[in-house]
Amino acid sequence: MITVSRSHWGPGAVALFLALFLTVFLVIPVAKVIYVAFQDPNTGALTLINFIDFFNTSLFRESFVNSFYVAALSVVVASAFALPLAYFTTRFNFSGAILIQTLGVIPLIMPPFVGAVAMVLLFGQNGTINLLLDEYLGFTIPFMEGLNGVIFVESVHYFPFILINLSAALNNIDRSMEEAAQNLGASRGRLFRRIVFPLAMPGYVAGASLVFLKVFDDLGTPLLLNINNMLAPQAYLRITSIGIGDPMGYVISVILVTFSLLALWTSFLALRGKEYATVQKGGGGLMKRDLAGWEKAGCYAVVILILLLVLSPHIALTLLSFGTVWSFSPLPDAYTVQHYVDVVSTSSIYITNTLLYAGLAAGIDVVFGTAIAYVVWRTGLPGRKMLDYLAMGAVAIPGVVLGIGYLRTFYQFDVPFIDKPLASWWVIIVIALAIRRLPYALRACVAALQQVSVMLEEAAENLGATKSRTVRRVVVPLMTGGIVAGFVTSFATASVELSATIMLVSQESDAPLAYGIYEFMQSAAGRGPGAALGIIAVLIIGIATYLSHRIVNNKETERAPRQQSAAQGV
Amino acid sequence: MSLNQPSGGGVAVTVENLSLSFGKTEVLKGVNLEIRPGELFTFLGPSGSGKSTLLRSIAGFGPQPGGRILIDGEDIAGLAPWDRNVGMVFQSYALWPHMTVRKNVAFGLEERKVPAREIRERVEAALDLVGLVAYGDRRPSQLSGGQQQRVALARTIVVEPRVLLLDEPLSNLDANLRVQMRREIHDLQRKLNLTTIFVTHDQEEANTISDRMAVLDQGVIQQTGAPLELYDNPANRFVASFLGTANMLEGRVERADGRPWFVADAGFRLPMADGFSPGGERVTAMARPQNLTIGAPGDATGDGRLEGQVEVLEFLGTIVRYAVKVGGTSLLVDETHRAGRPVFQLGDRVSLGVDAEDIRLLPA
Amino acid sequence: MKRKDFLRAVSGALAALAVSALPAFAADLEGKLVIVTSYPPDTTVTIKKAFEAAHPGVEVEMLKKKTTAGIKFLQETAKNNTSDMFWASAPDAFEVLKADGLLAKYQVKVQGIPEKVGAFPINDPDGYYKGFAASGYGIMWNTRYLKAKKLPVPKTWAELADPVYFGHVGMSAPSRSGTTHLTVETILQGMGWEKGWGLMKSISGNFKTVTERSFGVPDGVNSGQFGLGIVIDFFGLSSQASGFPVDFLYPPITTLVPANIAIVKNAPHPKAAAAFIEFLLSAKGQEVLLDPKIRRLPVNPETYAKAPAGFPNPFKDKSIGAAVKFDLDKSKGRYNVVNSLFDVLVTYRLSDLQDAVKAIHDAKAKAKAKGKSNAEAAKLIAEAEALVAKMPITEEEAGKKDVNAIFKKKRKKADTKITGRQAEVEQQWDKEAKANYTKAKELAKKAAGML
Repeated sequence: MITVSRSHWGPGAVALFLALFLTVFLVIPVAKVIYVAFQDPNTGALTLINFIDFFNTSLFRESFVNSFYVAALSVVVASAFALPLAYFTTRFNFSGAILIQTLGVIPLIMPPFVGAVAMVLLFGQNGTINLLLDEYLGFTIPFMEGLNGVIFVESVHYFPFILINLSAALNNIDRSMEEAAQNLGASRGRLFRRIVFPLAMPGYVAGASLVFLKVFDDLGTPLLLNINNMLAPQAYLRITSIGIGDPMGYVISVILVTFSLLALWTSFLALRGKEYATVQKGGGGLMKRDLAGWEKAGCYAVVILILLLVLSPHIALTLLSFGTVWSFSPLPDAYTVQHYVDVVSTSSIYITNTLLYAGLAAGIDVVFGTAIAYVVWRTGLPGRKMLDYLAMGAVAIPGVVLGIGYLRTFYQFDVPFIDKPLASWWVIIVIALAIRRLPYALRACVAALQQVSVMLEEAAENLGATKSRTVRRVVVPLMTGGIVAGFVTSFATASVELSATIMLVSQESDAPLAYGIYEFMQSAAGRGPGAALGIIAVLIIGIATYLSHRIVNNKETERAPRQQSAAQGV
Repeated sequence: MSLNQPSGGGVAVTVENLSLSFGKTEVLKGVNLEIRPGELFTFLGPSGSGKSTLLRSIAGFGPQPGGRILIDGEDIAGLAPWDRNVGMVFQSYALWPHMTVRKNVAFGLEERKVPAREIRERVEAALDLVGLVAYGDRRPSQLSGGQQQRVALARTIVVEPRVLLLDEPLSNLDANLRVQMRREIHDLQRKLNLTTIFVTHDQEEANTISDRMAVLDQGVIQQTGAPLELYDNPANRFVASFLGTANMLEGRVERADGRPWFVADAGFRLPMADGFSPGGERVTAMARPQNLTIGAPGDATGDGRLEGQVEVLEFLGTIVRYAVKVGGTSLLVDETHRAGRPVFQLGDRVSLGVDAEDIRLLPA
Repeated sequence: MKRKDFLRAVSGALAALAVSALPAFAADLEGKLVIVTSYPPDTTVTIKKAFEAAHPGVEVEMLKKKTTAGIKFLQETAKNNTSDMFWASAPDAFEVLKADGLLAKYQVKVQGIPEKVGAFPINDPDGYYKGFAASGYGIMWNTRYLKAKKLPVPKTWAELADPVYFGHVGMSAPSRSGTTHLTVETILQGMGWEKGWGLMKSISGNFKTVTERSFGVPDGVNSGQFGLGIVIDFFGLSSQASGFPVDFLYPPITTLVPANIAIVKNAPHPKAAAAFIEFLLSAKGQEVLLDPKIRRLPVNPETYAKAPAGFPNPFKDKSIGAAVKFDLDKSKGRYNVVNSLFDVLVTYRLSDLQDAVKAIHDAKAKAKAKGKSNAEAAKLIAEAEALVAKMPITEEEAGKKDVNAIFKKKRKKADTKITGRQAEVEQQWDKEAKANYTKAKELAKKAAGML
């Protein structure tokens, strides 16, 4: 173990700065929210009365149950989407596996509430599907009725979290693990149940718990679907319609945070000691099997059905963006490009804001993520683990709670020179996004750092490079792939965030895309342009994501021979 | 069959005209093999020679090969891996991290629907056999490399497979442990009298452990036989050099002075044992370095004598290895080292000797 | 991101910020105008463009907030005010701000605006806020939807309570939408507290959904998710103008209320704010209201000459909005209580309410079909209807200051003592409502069983 020495003052200062940043922008705002929840609204004294009120009110109890129900069922439905896609593409020789994996991630880069609007048009009581069903078969299916709609929209939006994690886990299983079981007599079904599934479990649980968390604290979707009796909408409604002084909003926030942390903790317990490093020397991923003709047809049918389902928001949004009037009919009455013309001429500010905010936030995330990863894994600073927990803890803080906390904390704080409260300066949006996405970037950076051997660093130091120069010249370049991956994840998901931004946007010129779309969707003539803006958003984020993937891949292939020779040397 | 009693001979494994391609690359090109019951047979070859692919074909992994694989006379080529009852130990051991040692070992028996009580007994017996009874409740990650290797072995033999397949089982162990495990595997194999196929790229490992072995290169079996036989009488240049250091000279056989001579392209000739008749075609002469003698000019003993100059000198402990420049080539000579014996120095003029019977002729 | 690029991006952003903060000295007006508004971009962008064309150099910034959120926003930021104007429909929202002392007085210079529209004074008699357009509340419907489902067009609020509309009506909640609050108040004032709530709840029993935003209602009608919506007129008119197969009418019990604009106290850009009001009330500004995307009733009678055919003209058609004399003080006095009552009794208990109303519908339909009258069953049905209609507090109580104080969120001073907490009160109402709805359902089922 490295001890704190004089050569560690640099990392120490960096760690201190990071801790300060997290304290100011994560701990204090959340603590303020928690504090108010325990304050008597009339006297200001500390009390538990607000929580008693919460659990005595049947509406809140119902909201609580509904939030749980929706989050749990969303995990189930999302798993139903993700499992076949992950399984087929990692285990069978399947043409278009890469395309399927890419298309499967697209739902993430659309704000979920936009998906909600689009899905109502397709699957609603009088949407395309039900109108057709009713006309030809005489019955309808309540896809979008009540909580069903929330579950449907959320699982379509968030299932990629399971797909990505599960595919990675499946790909990481050493082929010989599977062969050993076959060799000992386990055939397909039992092989999957006894070996493949347990080994992929950590990946699945990681994805599933993320879905649970995100659904549990999502605000936009239930609001757009007019579902009020869930926790996040209740918190938002209480704060915006009753006021920042109403304690119930804070109580709900505390309950949201508590249960998010509990969900995280549960998944942590479930995974403890099971983070199998199954990649071993000579292991080459899962065995891929060729499919017989009818099997192939069946798999394609399932894959295409799922892709159609999960891409239905994009399909509907595209129709909406080109449609003139779409009312009580399976398809729009006519098509036009006018909405795009309108949007491009009036709304470029949303696009530039989004690129600026999400870009800055993702930039902050990877810089901080790299720094935290380094401090935690490569130094012996006392309390360094706390930094990791703190940054990861942000994943359990719902956007609404962070938004409320910022309003509460930074309204009294004026930014020098621009003479505005910090809470209404656009930079606060960037900070909120950065804090919210930091956990993603941090995990990517940690993974990247763990692949860089300490020996490579020692070699640099041995040749006279100082700590900071070693980090800059050896560690960071070797981490590039992971850092870019972290940047992409943060950027893409920050671009579509609404929960925190809706509370923090104080003027239209500061608004990002998601907010702009939300606003467009508030008027009769705005649906088409709103949809057009949504499609543009998906395209821009999609292209940005694709480009950064290309950069990563180029870097990786560039580095591949070097790594190989290093591996041979071992 | 029980683990503690020899199983009376094991079964024969026959491979007939086995060929296999990965895409356009031919990995096995018509392999024929006859492995006798109870034998410990080794596939030896460099990486990419097809030895692991051949083993995996026997276990039923990888693409479906052409040709036949017979175990005890039964063609298993079309069977799924789980229906073959051949036990395989993987290079990486492939112990399942989510199961304890005991669970790992019990797996195959559970798949075979063996009654629970019997499973318990047989698992304990297998663990006892590899000396790991005390470790049954550990997870694989809590074991050392050698212990993992033993668990992998126990897991495979507990199901009493017809054939035991070992895919480079020692490559992940350090040098000392490798020697020890090699003996253990050998003893175990003898005890169980189980037909065993062992894959390795290490000729020392192959020599020490095998009853017989097959040397593979580029998807073709180069030669099959007992280790000593292959070392002394390699069938071709590849086998000769893969099994040990060899001097190889190109040239042809001519008859002169009433006996056959090997006339090297390098510009000298060596006497050959009678029975070699000159065919005029180009051949390779092979002589192991330890079969050459070295001495001061004129001193070396042997049927053939050559004069040269010491070019390289390596002290290897038990031997001193010289590279001696002779004519247009360089020959390696090993001399057993004894304290006090003079060692030639770089640049020294020396004489080399070799007996006619130590020279082997190989195809060019 | 490369470090250099990053620095360039940051310095660029800083430069842009510095420029936007610089005042532009044009026509004596400040270079900027910040308006807190509840209006959608269709309205704000069109008017903003027209205004900026008329006053080059002034950059208008629209802060879109729901009316209720806008009030909260101005209250929360009062200490550190950055907004110039508040621009929204509901006059009672302005009353709340006026009462909190957050508005500045302004004397309009433009001539030709009448005193009243319908029964309502256009401007605040105290001079704090000005009406710039009139709005009435009514019913909009999707013509394709009604045709497909063979539903008649309802002409009055009461007709919306008819069983045929079960599951076809949408409305927003008054706590979420200032205009919806006015609709509810209009019905309450037009029909009286008890009867008004009774009707409100009967209609609510037919709800498909209570939308979270006021625009959720026209949105649902436009897309055909439900057939009828209770909306403010311009939602219906502008949807129609945008090409949707929808129509709109004013029922007799409605009120025309001016949509208003006011200057916020301590506005940072008062001159630009004044110019905005003058522009909005000028002939040019009033004409902008007829834009198909906006479609609001101008307060200047002259402007109607330029309106499209069939456009309602309250200055000519005296039937619109004349029936109810809207009492603003009354509305203001119970603003939060009405919001809360609606949420507790309707929004969050919608499924219980629907069940009860459905059971009553079924029982009545059965009685009608059988053609015989069963006195006991009729009594049970009447009892069930009374239970549904039952209110936890009387009109008098709802107007009481101390009751309303419970719903005032802000402690003015740390030692202000209020008895009762909102959550506690609501919890009590909710319990009663749930019991009543459940009981009503049981009674109606029982009645149906007797028939």
